[in-house]
Amino acid sequence: MEAPYDDRLLHQRVVGGDEAALGEVYDRLSSLIFGLALRVTRDRVIAEDITQEVFLVFWERPLAYDPDRGTLRAWLATIAHRRAVDHVRAEERRRVSTLGPRLYEPEPARLEDNVLAADEAKRVRQAVTALPEGLREAVELAYYGGRTYRQVGEELGVPEGTVKSRIRLALRRLADALAEEEV
Amino acid sequence: MEPVERLYLDALMEDPAVPERSLRPQLLAGARARRRPAAPTAPWAEPYAGRVAAMDALLASAGEDDWSRVIVEGWTLQELVAHLAAKDGLLAASVGAPVLGPAIGATDSLGRTADVQNYERARSPEQTRRDWRAQADALCRHLAALAPGTVATLDGLDAPVSDHVLARCLETWVHADDAARTASLRLPHPIPEHIHPTADLCARLLPWTMLLSGLDGSGRTLLLTLTGPGGGEWHLPLGVEDAAAGGDAPDAHITADVVGFCFLLGGRGDPRSFPADLEGDLALAHDVLDTAPALSGP
Repeated sequence: MEAPYDDRLLHQRVVGGDEAALGEVYDRLSSLIFGLALRVTRDRVIAEDITQEVFLVFWERPLAYDPDRGTLRAWLATIAHRRAVDHVRAEERRRVSTLGPRLYEPEPARLEDNVLAADEAKRVRQAVTALPEGLREAVELAYYGGRTYRQVGEELGVPEGTVKSRIRLALRRLADALAEEEV
Repeated sequence: MEPVERLYLDALMEDPAVPERSLRPQLLAGARARRRPAAPTAPWAEPYAGRVAAMDALLASAGEDDWSRVIVEGWTLQELVAHLAAKDGLLAASVGAPVLGPAIGATDSLGRTADVQNYERARSPEQTRRDWRAQADALCRHLAALAPGTVATLDGLDAPVSDHVLARCLETWVHADDAARTASLRLPHPIPEHIHPTADLCARLLPWTMLLSGLDGSGRTLLLTLTGPGGGEWHLPLGVEDAAAGGDAPDAHITADVVGFCFLLGGRGDPRSFPADLEGDLALAHDVLDTAPALSGP
């Protein structure tokens, strides 16, 4: 999925050292990134640090982002997710190590290329399967089938607005289902 | 990214939240400390300041191997950066801005390049990068208070300082692109507002590139249509002494991509295989394209 023109322009401006463009990226995406970091870490202070760092990384190394490979939102979300997961894992290691010596150190997470490990991706797919029919269909067409909301609406015979609200509801349910499993 | 990953990240972003205190002011202050923004300058010099910031972003990710790799003209990346600093310094000298690095000896581009390269060879690549950026930013700050029509001289060529600065913009852009290609990185284009004045300079140079190649376009005119963001249409006289082109039909019409055209003037790409639509006097249109790189030095 290629980035829309807006993303490209903001990227061009940031590469050209335009601070105001960084401010605009922050205004547009920070609540999503902070929400994501908060969901994963459940710690407002840590989530703030991660949010700040994600936007700083984009400013400092703007050429690491390639608009041909995806949206800015997805790229920033990937970095935020990686940092949030790293934090959670480090916390877990710390907790475990205070309980006693470990026989082995777990492999460090290989997250350079993949957001999700294979077993995690499987959990997400299973959570999709468990969604109510109407929500599941909409999500599968939009994400796995790569359809636009309008195309999904045509295939399911419902208005585009309905597709939008179904997908939002589905995403919420997925997030809740996945969070519950983690507890 | 896998669809399932995109789905997962979207699910995690379904609960947007706002930090109790805005992180914005802190973020912008932190950003400035991590990477210097484009130097404040006159509006007409902003395309140049933008390319300097872009080149610097590229250099920030250069590793030890990258610095010693030959980019163009047999120059390593460090020598290329020294070359940019040399020419920026000559323009700075011409308008009374601070000149950094070795004291001015040679006053032509190649001589000054050799002087600055010799000076920088004894320094680390990171120092060379800082020296170049400091020179470029000092020039930008000085330009902030200068009228664009102020005459400046570079390599014996008298022209408004604004045109010299746009030429510096084009050269910095072309060399940043050279370096990005060598590092297999993709450098995004400048914003359309920065491309347009650079393309305008390139268009206005066409009578000169023809003349330098021994072709006199006096009395002939060209309609140049440059497509893509930052493009536009120019109706140009092809003789250096000619008045502005009037309402008469142009002798030839060239349509091409605006970035490709700027790079052709910058000496990148072969005029013979340059993708363009030609109409009218085709021989004249070919002459224009064939001679377009004539002003591109190292």
